[in-house]
Amino acid sequence: MVVNFTLNEEGVAVFHDALACMFKFSDEVCLETKKDKLTLTTLNLSKSAYICFTFAANRFFSRYNFEGNAQYRDRFFCQLHIRSLMSVFRARQGGESGRDSRETTIERCDVAIDDGPGKKSRLVARINCRNGITAEHSLSFEPMAPTHAKFDKTEAVNHWTISSRTLRQLMDHFGPGIDLLDINTDDETRLVNFTCFTEKVQKRSANANEAVLKKPLHTNIAVEMDEFDDVEVEDKLHIIISVKDFRAVLQHAQIISGELATSYSNPGRPMKLSYSSEGILCEYILMTIGQDDAISQKHKNPRVNSVAARAARPELDSASRRGSSVVNASRNDLSQAQELPRVPQLQRKTALRPRHSQFDIRPQPIPQQIMAPPPPATARSDSLFVPQGDDDHQWEPINPDEEDDGGVNDRLEWNSNYEPNPSTLRINSYLNQAGEPPENPTSERLLSGLEPTQRLSEVS
Amino acid sequence: MASSASPVPAPPLFRAVASSTRPLYQLLKSIGFTNKVHVDITDNGLRFMADHARVMQGVAHWNKNLFTSYTTNLPQPEEEDEEDESATPTFQISLPALLETLQIFGAVDAATRQAKADIDPYRSNLRNYRPDAFSNQTLGMSGTCSLSHSQEGAPFSIVLEEAGVKTTCNLITYIAEEPELIPFDVNDLSFKIITQARWLLDALAEIGPTGPEKLTIAASRKAPYLKLSSVGALGSSSVDFAKGRDLLETFAVRDARWVQSFKFDIIKSAMEAMRIASKVSMRGDRQGVLSMQFMVEVEGAGLSFLDFRFVPYAERDDDEEEEEEDDGDEREGEEL
Repeated sequence: MVVNFTLNEEGVAVFHDALACMFKFSDEVCLETKKDKLTLTTLNLSKSAYICFTFAANRFFSRYNFEGNAQYRDRFFCQLHIRSLMSVFRARQGGESGRDSRETTIERCDVAIDDGPGKKSRLVARINCRNGITAEHSLSFEPMAPTHAKFDKTEAVNHWTISSRTLRQLMDHFGPGIDLLDINTDDETRLVNFTCFTEKVQKRSANANEAVLKKPLHTNIAVEMDEFDDVEVEDKLHIIISVKDFRAVLQHAQIISGELATSYSNPGRPMKLSYSSEGILCEYILMTIGQDDAISQKHKNPRVNSVAARAARPELDSASRRGSSVVNASRNDLSQAQELPRVPQLQRKTALRPRHSQFDIRPQPIPQQIMAPPPPATARSDSLFVPQGDDDHQWEPINPDEEDDGGVNDRLEWNSNYEPNPSTLRINSYLNQAGEPPENPTSERLLSGLEPTQRLSEVS
Repeated sequence: MASSASPVPAPPLFRAVASSTRPLYQLLKSIGFTNKVHVDITDNGLRFMADHARVMQGVAHWNKNLFTSYTTNLPQPEEEDEEDESATPTFQISLPALLETLQIFGAVDAATRQAKADIDPYRSNLRNYRPDAFSNQTLGMSGTCSLSHSQEGAPFSIVLEEAGVKTTCNLITYIAEEPELIPFDVNDLSFKIITQARWLLDALAEIGPTGPEKLTIAASRKAPYLKLSSVGALGSSSVDFAKGRDLLETFAVRDARWVQSFKFDIIKSAMEAMRIASKVSMRGDRQGVLSMQFMVEVEGAGLSFLDFRFVPYAERDDDEEEEEEDDGDEREGEEL
């Protein structure tokens, strides 16, 4: 017996909720036990989300005993299917027909994990129901060490805390079909903005090759900073995360407790969300994306060059560490902090500009640009009038067959607020500023734009 | 105009009218594991028998109490019974088709609701369009349902009238093959356990998720009394009543132990019956055949019964291979 513990009815429910939350991210979970705690960790497939639930031995369990064995002296770990665990730890209903049939009947749940040479590697859970029925489940597991994500606390200078219930109610106001959430703050108005949108495209019609935004709608909810318990965020900083992940976090946070705390640094760097309750600590590290990354992430065409796509999707740093729970690490190994692949060549490199809740006309970069070095801030010139001489290609239907590596679908998105901005017409002035991301405040005035369809070198 | 001397049409062999199709549908659905079902019309009601590969059989009874009117004009058996024992009309019809017809009530409501929901792609999450608990389809009423079978070879006719819409369905009847009932020896029982159907359902729901192929049922005089266990791809599970002896209202085990293994899927087919029944009587005979009889309480119509029989995997220990279907005598299982 390596470790054994007992849960009461409520414990089983909490355990189940935690597993249900994890199931939204991945199919497998890594269970790690030590003398003083039990940890469940998982990573999603694209390695852009890391979840870690820690259960304190003496507070969460009715009984907890870690014995270890020759192989696992201080720390035991294994990997299990979440689905099997969920069915073991589900709530059970019972009661006489006549009494409230929603009365759950678990009296206690004893779990024992056994492993070692000559023994079957099994997690055995015995559930004693109040009515006398006893169920016993024996699950096999794989000996896999958990992967922990790194998060540098000192780097994450932006943070805020708010009641998860409030936040969850907020999310209800966003319609279906959204993918991304942009969180930004405005010091002047003392508001924190939550903007939801999707970059998914669809073909305009069966025959056309043009693509339009599936849902050309940005919804923004502004929350006063007073609603937050603590807000310290760089002004006008935009950070974008996946709505699906965020919702999953909130749904679970609401069950567990009140306060959700987040901390992050810059777009493209990980963001940490956490909340806790009696005996349970829940932590998530989500990858964030910068604005232009958002555009390219949501390619409809699955044939996008997978290498570029993977590189484009920022991944969390991972490290299999022995003996220390990284997320709670008191010492942050700055020297070891890897440089996350800077969101690379798939999109044009631009400095931050505020997300406008309007539509942009902006064809996609054509395939050659995938491998090319990022063009300089010509994207700044979000203009409909890109001087291309007589070959005004951008208005022709784009033929996907012409693309070389059959990767990217060109997209057109419609701007109903069309207004040519004179300052953008002078694109040539930008062409010469190769490699410098101008922090030009005039960027604020760019309300609509078109990003170039051609490489700079091909222009004029 | 000359009146042709058309003979007065003979009264139909069977005719019944029901105001609610829900219990009819539920009882039939619980044996819905085959395509063709054997129908017997008797003075007391209809009897439907479904067979699966001869290792599982389920019988559902539609007691005449379920109908507002029930008339039969069955041919009386001759004094000397030289022909078949049962003069009752018997035929086969398609079970899925019959189940579909019983669902017709309220189908119009569902279509309208779906059409409304499709129009609005921007609907917010706040307004959840939940299915209506009080729709006609859910309740299965608000109209009348007439069943009839005029004569041998005629189709089985179902006429549904609801809100001015009259739907007539004629289901083709097939000549019945001689049904070979799974032999179950009531006089040689090894055990008999009566308990609430929900405990059995819970036990199977406990075991189901591991995806097992075989289910082993063991009844023993001493603890754990009744135990269901299985081994699946993701692990093994077992449920026992060691501490729940009092849940077993009737408990009689003749020998020390009765253990048999069944294909999990066939036991699983009876879960629908477990869901609607209040009590179940489990009996095993010496041959290893398992009988489950479910008692369903239908509001305002008394009790209806569902009978299942399961043939276990053949034992391969020693050198004997027990044939489970060797019994020549067929005896029908009596009711409780």
